[in-house]
Amino acid sequence: MPEPRFALVLFVTVVVLLALLLWPKTGLVPRLYRLSRFGQRVRLEDALKHVFMCQQSGQTSSLQSLAGQLEVSTGQAASFLSRLTEMGLVQMEGDGPKLTQEGAQTAVRIVRTHRLWERYLADRTGVPPVEWHDEAERMEHSLSAEQTDQLEARLGHPAWDPHGDPIPSSAGEIPPVPGIEILAVKPGRTVEIVHLEDEPREIYDALLADGLVLGVRVEVVGRRGRAVYVRAGSREWTLDPVTARNISVRQLPIGELPDLDRPTLLEVRQGETVRVVEISRACQGPQRRRLLDLGVVIGTEITPELMSVAKDPVAYRIRGALIALRKQQAAWISVQRLNGRDMVEVA
Amino acid sequence: MSDLSSGSCGGCSQHRTESLVRLGLNPDKWDILIALAGNPNVGKSTVFNALTGLRQHTGNWPGKTIVRAEGAFAHQEKRVKLVDLPGTYSLQAGSMDEEVARDFILFGRPDVTIVVVDATRLERNLNLTLQILDISDQVVVYLNLIDEARRKGIAIDANQLERELGVPVVSGVARDNVGVEELLDRAHGLAVGKTSTTPYRLQGYSDDVEKTVASLAQSVKSIFPNVPNTRWVALRLLNADEAVVESVRTGDLGQLGEESDRPAVLTNQRTQLVDSARRMRWDLPTDFHDRISERLYDAAQKIADKVQMRGLSKARFDFDRALDGVLTSRLFGFPLMLAILAVVFWITIEGANGPSGFLATLLIDNAHPWLRNLADTVGLPWWLSGFALDGVYLATAWVVAVMLPPMAIFFPIFTLLEDFGYLPRVAFNLDALFRAAGSHGKQALTMCMGFGCNAAGVVATRVIDSPRERLIAIITNNFSLCNGRWPTQILIATIFIGAVVPAHLSGIVSAGAVVGIAVLGIVVMFGTSWLLSRTLLRGEATSFSLELPPYRPPRILQTLYTSVIDRTLIVLWRAVIFAVPAGAVIWLASNLNIGDASFAEHMVSWLNPFGVLIGLNGVILLAYVLAIPANEIVIPTVLMLTVLTADVSSVGSGAGIMFELDNNDATGELLRSGGWTLLTAVNLMLFSLLHNPCSTTIYTIYKETQSAKWTTVATLLPVVLGVAICFIVTQVWRLAV
Repeated sequence: MPEPRFALVLFVTVVVLLALLLWPKTGLVPRLYRLSRFGQRVRLEDALKHVFMCQQSGQTSSLQSLAGQLEVSTGQAASFLSRLTEMGLVQMEGDGPKLTQEGAQTAVRIVRTHRLWERYLADRTGVPPVEWHDEAERMEHSLSAEQTDQLEARLGHPAWDPHGDPIPSSAGEIPPVPGIEILAVKPGRTVEIVHLEDEPREIYDALLADGLVLGVRVEVVGRRGRAVYVRAGSREWTLDPVTARNISVRQLPIGELPDLDRPTLLEVRQGETVRVVEISRACQGPQRRRLLDLGVVIGTEITPELMSVAKDPVAYRIRGALIALRKQQAAWISVQRLNGRDMVEVA
Repeated sequence: MSDLSSGSCGGCSQHRTESLVRLGLNPDKWDILIALAGNPNVGKSTVFNALTGLRQHTGNWPGKTIVRAEGAFAHQEKRVKLVDLPGTYSLQAGSMDEEVARDFILFGRPDVTIVVVDATRLERNLNLTLQILDISDQVVVYLNLIDEARRKGIAIDANQLERELGVPVVSGVARDNVGVEELLDRAHGLAVGKTSTTPYRLQGYSDDVEKTVASLAQSVKSIFPNVPNTRWVALRLLNADEAVVESVRTGDLGQLGEESDRPAVLTNQRTQLVDSARRMRWDLPTDFHDRISERLYDAAQKIADKVQMRGLSKARFDFDRALDGVLTSRLFGFPLMLAILAVVFWITIEGANGPSGFLATLLIDNAHPWLRNLADTVGLPWWLSGFALDGVYLATAWVVAVMLPPMAIFFPIFTLLEDFGYLPRVAFNLDALFRAAGSHGKQALTMCMGFGCNAAGVVATRVIDSPRERLIAIITNNFSLCNGRWPTQILIATIFIGAVVPAHLSGIVSAGAVVGIAVLGIVVMFGTSWLLSRTLLRGEATSFSLELPPYRPPRILQTLYTSVIDRTLIVLWRAVIFAVPAGAVIWLASNLNIGDASFAEHMVSWLNPFGVLIGLNGVILLAYVLAIPANEIVIPTVLMLTVLTADVSSVGSGAGIMFELDNNDATGELLRSGGWTLLTAVNLMLFSLLHNPCSTTIYTIYKETQSAKWTTVATLLPVVLGVAICFIVTQVWRLAV
């Protein structure tokens, strides 16, 4: 029989070692695995994607922009480009690298995988929005074309990624990018945010944190110097030009109002009947579908009726049925009070 | 439940009516195919039973029927096959259930689809009804639970509803067989073409969407002239509904005959259709799906307003509300729940003692020697009678004797609570705790069910509709101390732990130790759920929904019958199937000799060092390996192996013959002579809680998850945990002593 002290120490050591090795994401094995995949091919694909993205947005890519994007020296960037040229994916022209037809196809496939994966993370998983891009950056290099097609079918052939970017079809068609830059909107117009650029990360994260997400309707009030000043209800934002360039919007017909400060279902008293005005865009995929199927649509009347012992969840009377929703779900549902109208006697 | 379809039909002739002859299950041929659709928890299964005479279990729980059940009966000299589809809130094919239901209505081509509608929640139910009317002309609506609606002061004009929907509407109360006959007549009339329908079809999205839909519908019509609702197909194409897209691509949608017969021109056109639908999708508003739901509910509300009168008799006393007020109150909610659960367990354990003892006396003490005598008289060779009687028969008898009585008591009580509607309230109250652990409130119920039987608990996770939370519930169900393990715990606690304290306290202390182990199981369950939801299952999708159905008086006799049939007997049957080979293996292991000792003795001495390291011994480890099929036979196997290896000749019946002793003192003495100490006992109790699920449960987990990966995780996780905890306890103990 081994000495207990020794056995315990040995055991703890083994457990700690195993945890260090295998812990998801931060463990040594997952790290090594990621590193091993972050090889030449991934770099080349990223370079290709950069050239493609520049071409898409009407800019020209250069050795410098590529080096900046990939965080490598210009020498390395040049070697990537010459390798891509050898592979017949890129042609060097007077004003910089251009994609060949084959190069464009490859680039579209990578972009397609990236955006589909973001859609997947948004709709089907609990991964927080700020992590979508990085996860998709990894997946775009590891899914095969067939796997991507399967993923698309499973997601129901979505047309847009969660930032509002179009998802190319398997044949390589790309829907037109919607919206205009918010900088181009005349003061006084109400607009809806249809696209948020997810790079650079810092700006995107800040926009999310400020509550400027897809689907939000704001009024463009005017300019403050070079910045744009917008508001919705009591919330207001001053967007510096760099940030503003990352937001694309759709102009709403004149007369449409920006989002108001609306109470959510969370703030409704027990027994008070309210009407649903909106379900937040943050609620996507199966979650949203389930709410809609249960009858939580715009115009539905809801009454909080029963509180659980811990106050969360709360059971609501929704179209005759008693349905428990968690706080997180209730916070997605914006409502309007019915101004004391008696809603019980509807024949 | 689908498992039932293998069972026989016991009470078929009950409620026989003149034109309705029930035929039980799965007819080979049928004249009329009827599908049964509806929201969860509207009494679909009750209608199914009323029609087929099957006792399909009908819990007061949304989402019981996951895989479709089938039954058959004869009506007016026609053979009718009835398919019970899973209850769904919609047909948008968002979940597996919805896909199953939708695909059957669309591609299974039933002659008639009966939509069961809950009269107390008309609007919500009409949402689904309207979606079904969009797909099919052959629909009959059965307005169920009109008695409950009347009690709530709701009256529904069925004739008006019929005019609004354009399909036959029959109102009734399925549990009392009211309106069932008329339902059949109307369905029959529709199936044979005597009546026709003009189903309500949803119209009028915003102009731009409407234009897109219309132009696409036109293309569908030109390619598939015989499809009833081209508009719906167009909408589904715009929604990128995989099944519909695929059926357009292959031509299945229009029944164009065999693949090879389909003209190439059309194949081209079909591909073009799919492509143009995809391009049109880019121009659709992003909230297209929302708008469809809004339109549906808008229409449902308008229809409901026309046919429904509410608040007719203002109920003087709202029973549901009053009861909910108590059962979910801050003050009484938890105490009542604990009290109810305690009573259920007490009844189970106390009530099972007698019958278990009786079965053991009958099957083991009397039948076994009698069979041995018979075998000797007939002159069977010793190895054959040993293998068949001492191995296979004894293991099976043991499993039946220990397992059957508690399950036959526990499951009916549980089912009564379920039918009454109390269990969803338990989930409601406990959800906050489970949410903190990253799981679903309904896991409270599957956990409780696990106290009866883990395999049944795993099956019960079907009520959790979110995939991630369901996996957590499945993987952690084994931490509920099941019926098969209670006797082990009680025996060991009585012998070893009760003996440490003065005699008058031993009862209380040993009972406390057993409860402590069960509570430890719950703690581990929460801990593991928390850990899983943050590591392995981090990325899995979540969606929460919990409907609290109205309270309904349980039907006691029917419940007894169905819960014995579809929970107890199915689980018992699976257990027996696994016990048979286990009995054989146990006998063979103890009787096959390698060199001068049996295989079992070799294994014991080989496992012993590791066993001792974690505070157990080789006998216990081997017993757990051999007794994988059922926890019930662990103790008999341990005793048999102890006798075999410790050279005790005063007790036992021979190599490979499991036994138990009548007397706890004698058992204790035997175990102590096998080298057991208090530490061994404590570790055995821990290991009995924390080890791999029995093979019945493992098999059930595989059936439910369809994934070897998750089955492996669910199997290995508890063993690893158990070994680690026993190891730590042992080393710390040795350090302290």
